[in-house]
Amino acid sequence: MKHWWWKFLAIALLLVASIAALRVPLSPALVHVSPSRIAPGEVTIEVTGYNTRFTDGMQAYLVNDSQYVCPVRVDVIDASHARIIAEVPAGMRASMTDLVVQGLTYPGAFFTEGLGEGIERGACGPRANKLDPSGLAFTFPNRSILYESIRNLHFHVPMWFTMIALMGLSVWHSIKGLGDGSLDRDRKAVSAVHVGLLFCGLGLVTGALWARATWGAFWTNDVKLNGAAVTALIYLAYLVLRGSVADAHKRARLAAIYNIFAFMLLVLFLFVVPRLNAIDSLHPGNGGNSGFNDLDLDNRLRVVFYPAVAGWVLLGLWLYDLRERTARLAEQLDR
Amino acid sequence: MKKTLLLALLMPGVLLANAQDAAPSWLENSLYGNGKINAVIAVIAVILLGIGGWLYRQDRRLKRLEDAQRKA
Amino acid sequence: MLLYVVSAVYVCYLAVKGLSLPATWNALYWIILLFAAFNALSRSFQREDGGRQLYLYTLVDPRSVVVARSVYNALTMVVLSLLSLLFYTLFLGTEALEQAAIGQFVLSVMLGGIGFAAVLTLIAAIAARAGNGLGLMAILGFPLVLPMLLAVLRASKLALDGVAWSVTSTYFGGLVLLDIITVTLAWLLFPYLWRD
Repeated sequence: MKHWWWKFLAIALLLVASIAALRVPLSPALVHVSPSRIAPGEVTIEVTGYNTRFTDGMQAYLVNDSQYVCPVRVDVIDASHARIIAEVPAGMRASMTDLVVQGLTYPGAFFTEGLGEGIERGACGPRANKLDPSGLAFTFPNRSILYESIRNLHFHVPMWFTMIALMGLSVWHSIKGLGDGSLDRDRKAVSAVHVGLLFCGLGLVTGALWARATWGAFWTNDVKLNGAAVTALIYLAYLVLRGSVADAHKRARLAAIYNIFAFMLLVLFLFVVPRLNAIDSLHPGNGGNSGFNDLDLDNRLRVVFYPAVAGWVLLGLWLYDLRERTARLAEQLDR
Repeated sequence: MKKTLLLALLMPGVLLANAQDAAPSWLENSLYGNGKINAVIAVIAVILLGIGGWLYRQDRRLKRLEDAQRKA
Repeated sequence: MLLYVVSAVYVCYLAVKGLSLPATWNALYWIILLFAAFNALSRSFQREDGGRQLYLYTLVDPRSVVVARSVYNALTMVVLSLLSLLFYTLFLGTEALEQAAIGQFVLSVMLGGIGFAAVLTLIAAIAARAGNGLGLMAILGFPLVLPMLLAVLRASKLALDGVAWSVTSTYFGGLVLLDIITVTLAWLLFPYLWRD
């Protein structure tokens, strides 16, 4: 019981984090606006919301370069659909016009025709001091193109954290093993690599699925994806190296050397090279692509994310423990 | 070694997967459906299947050891 | 080795005549150089038999052996890469080099050659100790030179486009850092490899 507590902790953390990751609602947002182009004259705008509560008499207006256009009529169809009729004046300054409904902004909603020197300021700008009860609820950010799949943050990303943790554990055992030449350390190192590769595979497949849903392709030429592929190749090569040496002590030494060398270069590649050419990554937090931390209310993601990472890392250690004990048993039986 | 081969076989599949530009519509519908919640379902399914498969193999490995021990 | 490079370049010349796109020109060059590096460096530990190794082991510190090997391999690679660059431009033309910052490109070629040598020296030693030849060397080495290859491809592409030194210097700094760390690791790890 004493030595088990962390396994219970793993399950508890995963339970709490997974339930939260699936059950926390997304914050309301406008997800679709049509038409996408407006010209001076009367326009009818169809708005679709997500998790919204459209009500009769709700506030809606167009924003063009901080000048406001008030609607003629707002018809609420249901909680997430509304029709807005507005008289678009000629002479707006910016080519993109935003739409605001119930305090929710759909930026760049309309490509605007009939530009000019500006319009008369409408009387319907943002209401000051409006306390929106939905802003107080615990919600995940609702980002366009991600939508509900933002929840994958709590499932896909911890795979990589777990993999790095396991590979780090493996290298630690390799360093120790090089020092004292013990085969125990070698067994631990290779067990950690085995489980690490499982999580690497899971990370690759889940990443491909998520990428397909967000970026439209299973695989993109991206710094992080290259890093993942290189990691997989390195550790597969590690296993091949082990397979090609018969003598156990020699195998342990060669594998440990390769493991340390490869891991150090991998760390350089994963954490230094992306900083060097931080130009073209689709992943959050790389070159010009804002991380998740700039999202409003990012702490709401973090509150769930960190327990999820801790839970998955502990589960990875548990699997490693099983694997290592099995390997030890096999060695004892061999003898 | 078997797993090594399997992963090695999977890698080019993942790499080549973007070769096909036009995705079949069932894929679009299933992955993009319901505010993209299905992408989350798919990811969780993959993780559970992956860990389940690993546990199954681990189980088999232990079984082999148990058999060997019984014989010895 | 030189023969290998020349024939590789000639094959490329036959395959793609009149290559003017800098990106492709660059990529092709580095692919040739990558395979040349694998071929050249895999032999650096292969040619020694056990007796000679034991003799060297009793004679000198293993660390000086690996440092000497790294330096020798780095020099070989620098010469090899510059020579292959020469043949490459002779056969495939210099159209792609029109806008290039030549000095920067040559520097990136040299740094890339040294980087390949630094990474592959230790890998060659491991492969030789494992008693398995070029095949194992390629499997072990390829994922490790891939990061280096990506960085050097980016740097030399920028040099070909004639980007200012202030932009590219971070890449070159990164490459030098990578080389230094690699050689240090090899220096630290090599004694364990030699112990028997």
